[in-house]
Amino acid sequence: MKKLEDLNFYELLELAFDASPFEVHQAYKEMTQLYHDDSLASYSFFSREEREKILAKLDEAYSTLMDEKRRSRYDQLLIERGILEKSTQYQGERMKLGLMYDAKRPSTNTALRIRERLKPIVSSNPVIQEVLASDVLSGRDLKKIRDELGISLEEISELVKVRVVYLHAIEDDQFEKTPSRIFLKGFLRAYAQCIGLDADMVASRYLKRIHD
Amino acid sequence: MNSTNPYSSDFMPHIWPIGGGKGGTGKSFLTSNMGILLARQGFKTLLIDADLGAPNLHTIVGLPNPAISLSDFLNKRVPTLQETVLEMPIHNLFLISGAKNKLDIANLAHEQKMKVLRAVSRLDYDYILLDLGTGTSFNTIDFFTIWDSGIFVCNPEPTSIENIYRLIRSVYARKIRQVLKIDRFRSLAEKAEAQNPDATIHHPEYLLDMLKTIDPEQGAKIERILKSFQFKLVLNQVRRQDNPKIGALVCKIVEKHLGMRIQFIGNVSFDERVHEAVCRKESFVDQYSYSQATLDLKVIIKAITGVTEEQAVAS
Ligand SMILES: Nc1ncnc2c1ncn2[C@@H]1O[C@H](COP(=O)(O)OP(=O)(O)O)[C@@H](O)[C@H]1O
Ligand SMILES: [Mg+2]
Repeated sequence: MKKLEDLNFYELLELAFDASPFEVHQAYKEMTQLYHDDSLASYSFFSREEREKILAKLDEAYSTLMDEKRRSRYDQLLIERGILEKSTQYQGERMKLGLMYDAKRPSTNTALRIRERLKPIVSSNPVIQEVLASDVLSGRDLKKIRDELGISLEEISELVKVRVVYLHAIEDDQFEKTPSRIFLKGFLRAYAQCIGLDADMVASRYLKRIHD
Repeated sequence: MNSTNPYSSDFMPHIWPIGGGKGGTGKSFLTSNMGILLARQGFKTLLIDADLGAPNLHTIVGLPNPAISLSDFLNKRVPTLQETVLEMPIHNLFLISGAKNKLDIANLAHEQKMKVLRAVSRLDYDYILLDLGTGTSFNTIDFFTIWDSGIFVCNPEPTSIENIYRLIRSVYARKIRQVLKIDRFRSLAEKAEAQNPDATIHHPEYLLDMLKTIDPEQGAKIERILKSFQFKLVLNQVRRQDNPKIGALVCKIVEKHLGMRIQFIGNVSFDERVHEAVCRKESFVDQYSYSQATLDLKVIIKAITGVTEEQAVAS
């Protein structure tokens, strides 16, 4: 068993090396809940000093991994120590090429992990369930769901390789901004699937308004 | 194995001590009702009231005046432990009562304890559930470290969590002591305490840290043992407003910081009617077979047997 002091930031937050900022954020939230002063689950397990040390290390991990430049410097350090391989590194920068689709899809794993993480939230969150109870969905409805899940359009864009402007168009109901109806449907499905929703259901309930 | 249930397996530890840091957590309630569910699923099940200081399993299962009890074996009135086994009205369910113990029996001599533990190991049942006494008394830790299996019971309250961590750390320290043998353990404990006065009692993990630097081989061995434990955790009396994840988080803390495996196997809901059932000396799972608490108990039984109720009954 490794001691806390010996864990790298990824181990500390229980993250994969290619974790997206969204995952970093989620993991940090979960971990601080676990170690926080008034966490019932860890009540009495740590002394005050131990708790403070852990929380400080979590903060350091979080601020490093959330800052693209600092993260890539930290990754470089891990690469030099032979802990991280270049190919498994988070590729945030490369995705900002502005392409509609990126030929390389380095983060299918990340996308999959995020989807699995969001699905249980979707099925248990009352706000989301209320939105989904209706048989039509507007762009605003989708945004409401996304806000509940706490994921940004930029992140979805990185994950599904659809430009942010098109995702905005979906949420703003500005269909004319997408290249064509077929593209709109494709983007919509990618967006829905990415945040743990049923792609077919979302596409049909959303597009219903246009067809009608 | 005696029963005809093909799912019962020799490979699984089938002796389950049930203990928790505090009185009133629900150990006796869980022991008796889990026993009834196991018996109804066709497993030949023995309940042992090992709460030597405050036996009351017999009362919960509706047997106010048991004719014979564990003390008859301890006092050599009967030659074998098997002879203290009482048949219950429920098919496949048996009890060794703790009633009629002399009051001072809570302080058993070491040899007497060992005699009981050895005798329990030789009994032939599909499942043996032991209802343990309170706290970190010598008894509970004995039971948890002899078979390296056990079910920790805890409530979602700070006091109960505090006690369960204390118990878990005691089991941890005892295991290190068992592996090292007395003399080496003592010198290790002295060294660790010199660095940190809390080491032996409150932070036995320092013992292991120290051992790993002095004797990496022994340290690795103990780490392996701690990982191979079959311990389970149940959270009892969980109310609607409680965070259902507490149990899993407790196990996570223990695994991350002590390197000890404990599997969270479920929450059992708080139900007002448990009190009524106890007062009327009725079995809760039979009286309220569709209550959430009974459904919860069935999930826990499945985690222990590895089979669902339907599979078990059908066979
Ligand atoms: N899930 C539950 N819901 C409601 N009451 C419970 C539950 N479990 C136990 N109790 C009550 O808590 C009290 C203590 O339970 P008991 O099994 O005797 O604890 P222990 O054996 O750990 O001292 C009893 O009065 C019992 O009725
Ligand atoms: Mg009891």
